[in-house]
Amino acid sequence: MARNPIADQVAIVGIGSTGFSRDSGGRSAKALACEASIRAIRDAGLGPGDIDGLVGAAEPGGPQPQEMSAALGLPQVSHFSSPTPVAVFALVDAMNAIYSGSCDTVLLYFAYTRLPWNSRSAAQDPFRRRHTLGVMPAPESVNAAAAYAAWASRYIHEYDVPREAFGRVALNARAGAANNPLAAMKAPLSMEGYLGARMIREPLCLLDMDVPVDGADAFVLTRTDRARAMTKSPIVIHAATVGLVGTNDEDQLPSLARHGQHVVVESLRAKSDLWLEDMDVFFPYDGFSIITLGWFENFGWCGPGGAGRFLEEHWDEASGRVMIDGRIPVNPHGGSLSEGATRGSGHIREAVMQLRGDADARQVPGARNALIGCGGFFFNSQGAILRRL
Amino acid sequence: MTLTEIPSDAELVERFPYASIDHDNKALYRGWLEKSLRMNRCDDCQRFHHPPKPVCPSCWCSSLVPSEVSGRGTIHLAMFLHQGPPAPGVDYAKAPHPVVTVELEEQEGLRFTSTVAGCAPEEVRIGALVELDWVDRLGAPFPVFRLVEKS
Ligand SMILES: [Zn+2]
Repeated sequence: MARNPIADQVAIVGIGSTGFSRDSGGRSAKALACEASIRAIRDAGLGPGDIDGLVGAAEPGGPQPQEMSAALGLPQVSHFSSPTPVAVFALVDAMNAIYSGSCDTVLLYFAYTRLPWNSRSAAQDPFRRRHTLGVMPAPESVNAAAAYAAWASRYIHEYDVPREAFGRVALNARAGAANNPLAAMKAPLSMEGYLGARMIREPLCLLDMDVPVDGADAFVLTRTDRARAMTKSPIVIHAATVGLVGTNDEDQLPSLARHGQHVVVESLRAKSDLWLEDMDVFFPYDGFSIITLGWFENFGWCGPGGAGRFLEEHWDEASGRVMIDGRIPVNPHGGSLSEGATRGSGHIREAVMQLRGDADARQVPGARNALIGCGGFFFNSQGAILRRL
Repeated sequence: MTLTEIPSDAELVERFPYASIDHDNKALYRGWLEKSLRMNRCDDCQRFHHPPKPVCPSCWCSSLVPSEVSGRGTIHLAMFLHQGPPAPGVDYAKAPHPVVTVELEEQEGLRFTSTVAGCAPEEVRIGALVELDWVDRLGAPFPVFRLVEKS
């Protein structure tokens, strides 16, 4: 039996999303966050007086918890925080706050807005332009986003991986987005289309990178005993964790064989009674396609360097996507590559929708357990297992 | 301890407008002005680390000596920017700009990231041997690598 006192003690009882687009048309991040939050609170059948905790991911340009409290007229909260991206940091904080008794019911929100340096059209908006970078760094850096292209080069070098391995991640995402009304990128994508896409940071091309979008997701979390009074089969957090190794500076990472994802997998394995064979749907993060390949290998679906072959072997030609063992879809909502760069909140929302049985055309019949690997290799590796009781 | 450091912290920041300079890494950039690549070395356990940290991550000793490294090493990571931040002498439209992380010969796992100058992008490969050179960027020395000719 795993040691994880918080297992199944916190439930996700409400979800709300604005959907995602390349341009929300002059709406602020706060406006998007409010829309998603109101949807989530109503989805839970609650009102502003029921929320006593407020957790908002500190996305650049996104609203602070106190601004959201004021905008939504929340009478009082006894816990609020703004954890750093990506999404599971905030999920873990909300979960811990509820279980420890800091509060009972958390509104958890994520608001995304294209920033001037990742979108040409956003750079035209004088309000968005005021978010400046400070120092314009030199090109000769493998920090932050560039790290994934740099380490992709190493991955290709060590395992002799063809571009098609990365392409399958992108194609799988696009096939999912086609069935998701919330998704930004729905146009069909072929392998020829992928291979012909513009290189950005070679070896990664435009379609290996998530799509900057405007939009927001929100969730309502509460104690599982309260959730049971609201619904007979609550969706609960069975286990959640983050992971970090000591030497995590991007260019000093010892190797692809030991980084944050490995810590996450070990920690999740030790906390969970459920593992790969129990899963009905799999959500490997895909801010960059190389991250997704890493999650496949590090969760143990296949060995190091084997993700490309694994995707090929488990490819469903009819639907143009991955179906692990013919049964388990992967990021069926389209992931960050095609639904939009939700930094993981989309993966959590889709997991909840699947476990509720509310995923319409994307629904996995009878889905009970979902595995989420969020974030990348360096300082935002995270994981969660959600289940329906 | 140096009483007066040349140039002053304020001047140093002006010489390297593209760098995030702080009290932990200022010796690195002062070294660049003398065309010397200096990495923090622990006075106690003698291990190098990079980027500069206020204590030695191996033994927690805070006596760290910015020590010149050879700049010779092997390309460990190699990517090619087809677009990116503007920089003098970098024309993404002409050719993709290589960015490499080089594992230095001084210590396993000790790496420094820059570009490779003076060769075509297709010559830049993981495993290739390189050495350090200096170019001018905005009036200050900037460390780059060059491929070592195979003899
Ligand atoms: Zn030491």
